[in-house]
Amino acid sequence: MNYLLTTLTKKQEVDSMIRDTIDKVLVLCFGRASDSIFLQLDEILYKSVREVSKFATVALVDIDSDDVQVYVKYFDITLIPSTVFFFNAHHMKMDCGSADHTKWVGTFLRKQDFLDVVEAIYRGAMKGKLIVTCPLPPDRIPKFHLLYEDV
Amino acid sequence: MPIQNPNPNKKKKKHSNQDDDEDDTVQGKQQTQFEFCKVCRLNHNQGRRHIYFPNHKKALSSFLYRFQSKFKNDVAFYLKKPMPLRPEHAALNRLWCVFCDFDILEYDSSFACGNAIAHLASAEHLKGLKSFLWKYGGGMDRMDSFRISESDFTKWEKKCKLLKSEAAGGGSHGSLIGPLNDIHNESKSEYVNSFDKNKLDCLTSDVKCSNSVVPLQDHTIERSQISHSKICTVGPQILHAGTGVGLGARTPNGLPGFFGNQHYTHSVPKEGPAYSCPNDGKVYPYEGIAIGDGHSQGTSSEESRLQSLQNLTQISSSAQENGGGNVHSGAPPPWFSAAEKIQLDNKLNQGLGDLVSSLGEQMKTSKLNPKRVGAAWAERRKIELELEKRGELVRHDFGADWLPNFGRVWQSGSRKDSRKEFLGENKTWRKVDSQIEKPSQLQPYISKRMRTENTAE
Repeated sequence: MNYLLTTLTKKQEVDSMIRDTIDKVLVLCFGRASDSIFLQLDEILYKSVREVSKFATVALVDIDSDDVQVYVKYFDITLIPSTVFFFNAHHMKMDCGSADHTKWVGTFLRKQDFLDVVEAIYRGAMKGKLIVTCPLPPDRIPKFHLLYEDV
Repeated sequence: MPIQNPNPNKKKKKHSNQDDDEDDTVQGKQQTQFEFCKVCRLNHNQGRRHIYFPNHKKALSSFLYRFQSKFKNDVAFYLKKPMPLRPEHAALNRLWCVFCDFDILEYDSSFACGNAIAHLASAEHLKGLKSFLWKYGGGMDRMDSFRISESDFTKWEKKCKLLKSEAAGGGSHGSLIGPLNDIHNESKSEYVNSFDKNKLDCLTSDVKCSNSVVPLQDHTIERSQISHSKICTVGPQILHAGTGVGLGARTPNGLPGFFGNQHYTHSVPKEGPAYSCPNDGKVYPYEGIAIGDGHSQGTSSEESRLQSLQNLTQISSSAQENGGGNVHSGAPPPWFSAAEKIQLDNKLNQGLGDLVSSLGEQMKTSKLNPKRVGAAWAERRKIELELEKRGELVRHDFGADWLPNFGRVWQSGSRKDSRKEFLGENKTWRKVDSQIEKPSQLQPYISKRMRTENTAE
């Protein structure tokens, strides 16, 4: 899997990643390597990793591994790829106009979009806000239907 | 327009599907038109909120301060002492009224800043001032410092009238310093008067013509030479032409050692305020005065100055080191011995290095906002990592059950609750899983018809 970014397969790895990223945004992308959209997301991330390296760290998590299923359930991941943002081990929410503010579902249409999103998260986190608004216009945000709890 | 959260710090406990359970705010959107703020010189769409922002307040205070200084230095001075305005100075006397957005020119006024004073006392200006302060939030109590009251204006007008009547009567000019000869009267008076005028204009119009160079208040070298040479001709003597052939002429008063046409570089033993450069033991005389004379016909100030200069003696340059350097070349003072100097340099370098590194660290930590998300956790974690690096603290496994701080989607209540909820859910699932231990035996499906047929048979 050399063509992907650092992929985590164990809960302990994910934990250490979350706990050791201090004062930087942690971008955790959950997905499956065989999924084309996930690969597209990975492509964009790979191009941007260096540019955000001063204020963000990026890691991928393979949802097929058993160890990580706890997180899959905890974060309510039903659609892949899903990206969750952390700052100093606190979860950052982003209001993109969709129903789910806790994660970013889907890929980014452009590299600049990803950079804008991460920047918005960082700025909000530095000001002490746990939720930020998405800087992208609605046409650049991938749409999805959220499954309701009782379904 | 969405309603903004009035008190973001309140914790609301609603049982709804919205995630407004945390002390955070979603940024409100303002949908007003763009307008231009004259004070900050930028376009904004924040409407009336803009004037309360700290940046705007700073810009406003500096803006008003600038106008106020122009007003005080300039207009207020002329308000107290009206002065006739000469046409050549009219171009310098413009004032831009920032409240009314209009330029006040003085081409057709007979008194300095006449038009400006008239405008600032007028009702239109007051109106403009009020609307400006309302729009940009200046504080209505400061209005009087930007306008001229009617009583002041009437006083000023009276003074102007007085001046006009005086001028018509033909008053004399300022005091003349009287030399004997008429020619010299004219020449001196010209100098004196022009200097006075220049001084006044410069003092009062320095705000306006701040870009232009202020003329010298004192005699320049040439002027003094010329004036002195003219004065010298009163006596029975030889004309000094400033630079000329060194005729070894005797001065009127027979000052010792004075040769009026000496070249500048020769040491003339008078010159106290000499700009002596100790490297080459020459003394550069303060030139124009050296030629001077103690002629009683000169002005009293010049005379006394010359006298004081003549009493000083020249410092001989024999005690100078040739390669030692001095203050101007940046060499260390002689009380530092060479050895000490080396030590000092080393210490300085080390100190600087340490300072820079510690400063860098300080900068980093002081820059981070203490209110940022997870700040306390980050600080603790940093300390932990540091200790681990040093090997003092053994890394303790935080357990396989550690879960990060996460706010779930369909969740109400704080994030700690979400963790508990999740753990609770996990347990129920595990129970459910364990109950399904015996897999049910699979049997083929037999339809009712078949069953009834079987039973019938």
